[in-house]
Amino acid sequence: MTAENISVISLRNLLLVTVPPDPDDETISALQQKILESMARHDARGLVLDISTVQTLDSFFARTVMETVQMVALMGGRTVLAGMRADVAVTATQLGLSIGATQTALDVDRAFDLLQGEIQGGRTA
Amino acid sequence: MSIALADEIRIDSESDIVVARKLVRDTATSLGFGLTDVTRIVTAASELTRNIYIYAGSGIMRCRPVASDARRGVELVFEDKGPGIADISKAMTPGYTTSRGMGMGLPGSKRLMDEMDLKSAVGQGTTVVVRKWLHK
Amino acid sequence: MKTSQKPSNRSGQNAAPGNEAASAYNRSLIEASLDAMVTIGPDGRITDVNGATESVTGRSRTELIGTDFSGYFTEPAKAAAGYQRVFRDGQVRDYPLEIRHSDGHVTSVLYNASVYKDAEGKVIGVFAAARDITERKEAEALLAKASAYTRSLIEASIDPLVTIGPDGKVTDINAATEIATGYPRSELIGTDFAGYFTDPAKARAGYQQVFRDGQVRDYPLEMRHPSGKVTSVLFNASVYKDAEGKVIGVFAAARDITERKESEARIKQQANEILELSTPVMQVWKGVVVAPLIGSLDSSRTQQFMERLLSRIVETNSPVALVDIMGVPTIDTQTAQHLIEAISAVKLLGSQVVLTGVRPAIAQTLVHLGVNLSDISTRSSLAAGLQVAFTKLELEVVKKSQPGRAETKP
Ligand SMILES: Nc1ncnc2c1ncn2[C@@H]1O[C@H](COP(=O)(O)OP(=O)(O)O)[C@@H](O)[C@H]1O
Ligand SMILES: [Mg+2]
Repeated sequence: MTAENISVISLRNLLLVTVPPDPDDETISALQQKILESMARHDARGLVLDISTVQTLDSFFARTVMETVQMVALMGGRTVLAGMRADVAVTATQLGLSIGATQTALDVDRAFDLLQGEIQGGRTA
Repeated sequence: MSIALADEIRIDSESDIVVARKLVRDTATSLGFGLTDVTRIVTAASELTRNIYIYAGSGIMRCRPVASDARRGVELVFEDKGPGIADISKAMTPGYTTSRGMGMGLPGSKRLMDEMDLKSAVGQGTTVVVRKWLHK
Repeated sequence: MKTSQKPSNRSGQNAAPGNEAASAYNRSLIEASLDAMVTIGPDGRITDVNGATESVTGRSRTELIGTDFSGYFTEPAKAAAGYQRVFRDGQVRDYPLEIRHSDGHVTSVLYNASVYKDAEGKVIGVFAAARDITERKEAEALLAKASAYTRSLIEASIDPLVTIGPDGKVTDINAATEIATGYPRSELIGTDFAGYFTDPAKARAGYQQVFRDGQVRDYPLEMRHPSGKVTSVLFNASVYKDAEGKVIGVFAAARDITERKESEARIKQQANEILELSTPVMQVWKGVVVAPLIGSLDSSRTQQFMERLLSRIVETNSPVALVDIMGVPTIDTQTAQHLIEAISAVKLLGSQVVLTGVRPAIAQTLVHLGVNLSDISTRSSLAAGLQVAFTKLELEVVKKSQPGRAETKP
């Protein structure tokens, strides 16, 4: 998995990024870079990070995600983590990871609903 | 019960962490662990191999099925000849890090697994052994 | 080998009579004896017999005297060799022979014989007494049969059986031990008993305890097979003694309890399954699951509850999960911590927990424990919790008779 394979889809003023199942550290860093560039290019107001295929959420990955959320916020966007698997959520909690105030949704659909409602309601970050 | 030979992986680069995760996932799955336990074991392996890579530069991980007392399980050994850990109880404290990490790797792995032994000597290296049993 | 040479200087105890009175007395003793007695001349011919000899051979005194001694045995050559040895050595002890009766039946005997001499000390013959050992032989055969039977019982035992010497070395084993250890008998005997266990020190302590206390009951050990396979066993052992009552070793029987352990594990698993049934996670509405927790919560139960709750939320794609703790009698810090963990894991999924059924006592405990539930929506009843869920899902509960009017219960 290299940075080129990461898909970033821009829909209206939102970005949809799908995280690969078992990314190495390099891919995770490349993902962050690509998200921030796309945020700027599309003047996006929100980011949906689809993590429904992610098998392992360790502390390095979690930290990078949290950093990305903060960077996206600084660029005026809100992030929703969508579709975390049940086993990954149990493990991440037991490992002691926390994602702070980052929003979550059961799937991409609900994440879009959430972001669109918020952006239309004028509640941006 | 079949006795498989321990699989050993060298950890020299970031991409070896992915290789280690895959080996651990396959071993734990074939031993009959449920999905959540497999994810726990793989996540601990990811944390502990990353520690080797970050703090020691290189080392090895061994992964093998174990049996005792009519119990079966998996054992992972992480061994490096890096700088070692001066204060083990500090390193085991959630949030303690010397590398801007989250400081959850060691304490979190202990919680994800059933057993953990950590041996370390400054200047000589660190060995972490973790085990998880089926139907605990 | 000539028989009359080299007369022994040992005097025969049953030497020929010296005077008339003594002679008559001796004769009556000889006749009274149950042992068949014979005197043999240097030429191997019978010179005298007693009554017992007549009955064991089935021939009369007159028939016997003057005939060849060796002719009355199943093995004449061996009989001849026997009395020749007496002439040579002065005596024999327990020389086994079989006397053939005239009717064909055979009596096993042991001969004790010595030379007897005349007044000048010259050897004039052999005095031989035969003891009937048929009974003893039968007893021995019986004993041999019994011990073969015991041995076969030992061999047939599916329990590994071992005898251990005071030095801790294996002195005997049965076939089951060969199977359990993976070593043949020949390799096991003489080796250290403790070496075949995962914990040799514990094995050693075990047989030492037997030597000290006389026995042990249900001593748990794990036998190790060279393949790496480990068999869990319980040892029952006691000391065994020689005829004088001196302890000469330990007899130990091991019972394989692998199966028992496995069935224990099965029972545990069944208990877990029952546990799962006792913590159901039900979908009560599209997008709403309810998980009533009943009974006390320990770590492993809360853990399982959390896993089930999360996977049901994902399966049913439910943004709201009502966790009802009405049926939880008491709560401690640890349990509260587990609950909070479950709640944050649910949040990671993109769903939300509403904690319901918080009874006054539980609310007091949680506050006193300093558990922070401020981020979590809580309601005192399940009904109130459902209302929260419906609000979140932007649903309204409407009375059929009054369409359009919302039944709002804050
Ligand atoms: N293999 C190792 N060799 C040397 N030091 C280590 C090793 N593993 C962990 N440590 C030390 O223990 C600390 C805590 O480790 P960990 O719990 O994994 O958190 P983090 O890696 O996020 O710092 C590290 O910051 C490091 O100082
Ligand atoms: Mg770490």
